[in-house]
Amino acid sequence: MSDSRDQSATNGILARFLSLPVDSIPRTVFMAVSLCLFCSMIVALAAVNLKPMQSYNKLLDKKINILQVAGLYTDGVDVEKVFSSFEPKIVEISTGKFTDQYDPSSFDDRSAASDPELSVALDEDPALIGRKPKFATVYLLKGSGGELDKIILPIYGYGLWSTLYGFIALEKNGNDIFGLQFYEHAETPGLGAEVDNPSWRQQWRGKSLRDENGNLMISVAKTSNNKKFHIDSLAGATLTSRGVDNLVKFWMGEAGFGRFLENLKVGEA
Amino acid sequence: MSQTKKDLLVDPLVDNNPITLQVLGICSALAVTSSLKVAAVMALAVIAVTGFSSMSISVLRNHIPTSIRIIVQMTIIASLVILVDQILKAFAYEISKTLSVFVGLIITNCIVMGRAEAFAMKNPPVASFLDGVGNGLGYGLLLLVVGVVRELFGAGSLFGITIFETINNGGWYVPNGLLLLPPSAFFIIGLLIWCVRTWKPTQVEEREHRIQTIEEH
Amino acid sequence: MGIRKFFDNIEPLFTSGGRYQKYYPIYEMVETIFYTGKTVTKVAPHARSYTDMKRIMTYVVISTIPCILWAFYNTGLQINSNLMQLGESSQVGWRISILDFLGVSLNPQSIFANMAHGSLYFIPIYLTTLVAGGICEVVFATVRGHEVNEGFLVSSMLFALTMPASAPLWQVALGIAFGVVVGKEVFGGTGKNFLNPALTGRAFLYFAYPANMSGDSIWTPVDGFSGATALGMAAAEGIQSLAAIGLSWGDAFWGYMQGSLGETSTFACFLGLAFLLVTKIANIRLIIGCLVGMIAFSYLLNWIGSDTNPMFAMPWYWHLVLGSYAFGLCFMVTEPVSASHTNLGRYIYGGLIGVMVVMIRVLNPAFPEGMMLAILFANIFAPLIDHFVVQANIKRRLSRNV
Repeated sequence: MSDSRDQSATNGILARFLSLPVDSIPRTVFMAVSLCLFCSMIVALAAVNLKPMQSYNKLLDKKINILQVAGLYTDGVDVEKVFSSFEPKIVEISTGKFTDQYDPSSFDDRSAASDPELSVALDEDPALIGRKPKFATVYLLKGSGGELDKIILPIYGYGLWSTLYGFIALEKNGNDIFGLQFYEHAETPGLGAEVDNPSWRQQWRGKSLRDENGNLMISVAKTSNNKKFHIDSLAGATLTSRGVDNLVKFWMGEAGFGRFLENLKVGEA
Repeated sequence: MSQTKKDLLVDPLVDNNPITLQVLGICSALAVTSSLKVAAVMALAVIAVTGFSSMSISVLRNHIPTSIRIIVQMTIIASLVILVDQILKAFAYEISKTLSVFVGLIITNCIVMGRAEAFAMKNPPVASFLDGVGNGLGYGLLLLVVGVVRELFGAGSLFGITIFETINNGGWYVPNGLLLLPPSAFFIIGLLIWCVRTWKPTQVEEREHRIQTIEEH
Repeated sequence: MGIRKFFDNIEPLFTSGGRYQKYYPIYEMVETIFYTGKTVTKVAPHARSYTDMKRIMTYVVISTIPCILWAFYNTGLQINSNLMQLGESSQVGWRISILDFLGVSLNPQSIFANMAHGSLYFIPIYLTTLVAGGICEVVFATVRGHEVNEGFLVSSMLFALTMPASAPLWQVALGIAFGVVVGKEVFGGTGKNFLNPALTGRAFLYFAYPANMSGDSIWTPVDGFSGATALGMAAAEGIQSLAAIGLSWGDAFWGYMQGSLGETSTFACFLGLAFLLVTKIANIRLIIGCLVGMIAFSYLLNWIGSDTNPMFAMPWYWHLVLGSYAFGLCFMVTEPVSASHTNLGRYIYGGLIGVMVVMIRVLNPAFPEGMMLAILFANIFAPLIDHFVVQANIKRRLSRNV
């Protein structure tokens, strides 16, 4: 008896609610609240469920970039397997030595570069990056016997319209360039964006950073007498070329990975 | 309903194209058409969003209070856009990187809101869905046409496959750099509108002003 | 009077009802090359003036003659002197074969040799412009049924003068076609264009083929030679760097430097401008506005100063002689159709260009040359400026009569 009365009461409330006009305040509030709840649920569900896949993609993308600059990427290659021959390491830039303070698999270079704890403001800033990170992730490519084969260093700096992010791959002597590649930039299509052009990137292979006396000689310029250290500017993209020139010099110089490369050469990194 | 279901789908392709006739959704048409692949994915994303948002809004149309009508529409559209964005990031990362914010900006695409407000609020779900998909298709069709022109003449390729070998890679074709810049889409869309209106003169608008001529006495 | 008779005989074929009625614009075009147009105002009020469109346009073309001659001479001079420096081995190409055949030397000291060599660059570019632009013009005139206008001769001459000597001819053709169609014909033809057609075409090429329209290797078409324009050098290293290559202000004023064909000599441009002012085609208010805007804004930037950007320190008299400022000032700013039409508006329009050109040159990292973009920018604002001037006049008159 009491059950049926309860039911009729709920029916009554529901019926009364439904009989209200659509524009009445209770129904407006109800609609707003329930729609918000429903939509946020769907969005949250999607975000949570797809998150692992997205982070995996992001990581994979970075790995592919590293493989590309090391010349190991071809379509359909098993990225994970090839990448396992790389050893990521964190380098403290000021001392040029490896450090175990941070875990390379979770260290985020991009956010470290703007974190006041992990970076220093630059007085002399040819690459126009504002702050320099104290630590950076480098990737060491090991040969089949575990010996060092190539070194992949992250580099970035400002071009004409945007910051160019990329990697430079060096041979095991730490002086000869194997390749250079930018994975993110927004330079002028057809001009500055030709930094992605394979035939221009090909020029970097085999060039050297320093001469016998240890002077940093590498340059991106229109003309040069010394072909060993010279890369032609991009046609019609003076400012992008100058940006690349500055950022390579900066990161390969004393303020960048200069000390690390020095240490690596004598085996003390 | 005088319109048949087929009309709902086909009408927005040329006769009532959201871009060439109503000149809506230009912003994203400028931004995402420099390569055909990106344009195609963007088109699919917009079709999905217009279709499903129109449908859901139509389902709820009798329960949406007028006072919060626009907010309700926005919420539904925004949720769908976020869904699409998340899915792209999970399954088509490369393309979602190129599309970057423009997927998010589908929310502000006038076509979606326009169809929701103008059609879905007054029509049953299936018709609304078809209308949404149709308008998305009209938008997508134009995106693809613009994309073909821009990628073919701007980079010498289609869907990333080289058609004209460019000078920089040792070929003969000098790519037209202007076409890779977003403003070129203005010219192309303008010229397309010109073509469409020459083909279908009924789309030409009435002149607002007429130059006076003196009659001969 | 054989020609007159010939035209009178064939005219009925083209007038309404005739067999070739559709092609009347072409008939009219050819006829008016020989005779004054027959259409006159038939009803009151009669505006009596010695000028008509044809005369205005002819005057503008005449006013560019100093620039054309300088284009011949300077292009040849730049090429010949660089050829001499690079030595015999670099002297190849069809132009040099022709010169050889005609027995013309490549001596940079000889005015005639320079003119001959320069003309072999200018004339192909100009002819291409005429043919390609002319085809577009005639097609539109025929379809739309309006006259083929002499304005086209002006546009094509100005367009050719803004080309670098090495411009590939197919790009020249594409550029003028774009300029004529998008800059003018889509808006209804001469007199209805709100953009300068020659500049529209030039801007199209600048953005479409920047490698051929800007940079270091295009200004003097000699293999193996590379050198930036004076403005480009000043942008990179400051005006001091110009003294280092031996370019004085005087040289820049007379035009002994690299650049687009007809724009290098400020002096030649001013000669043309004087002619336009005397014949009352150019409006002096535009010139004053543009000069004042440029001078004031460069003083402001001189005063602000900058450690990193040498262009801030560039004085106004260098802005005047470098790049295409003078050419733009004399022939583009004064173009009556796309400029403002009210007197006050003309000062504002000119001033806007003057400010914008310095702003683009100094503050934009990518485009050392700002005149083209500044003028196109102001073209877009011209109707708006007029609108506000007219509204202000209306308001003032209304308030007088309260």
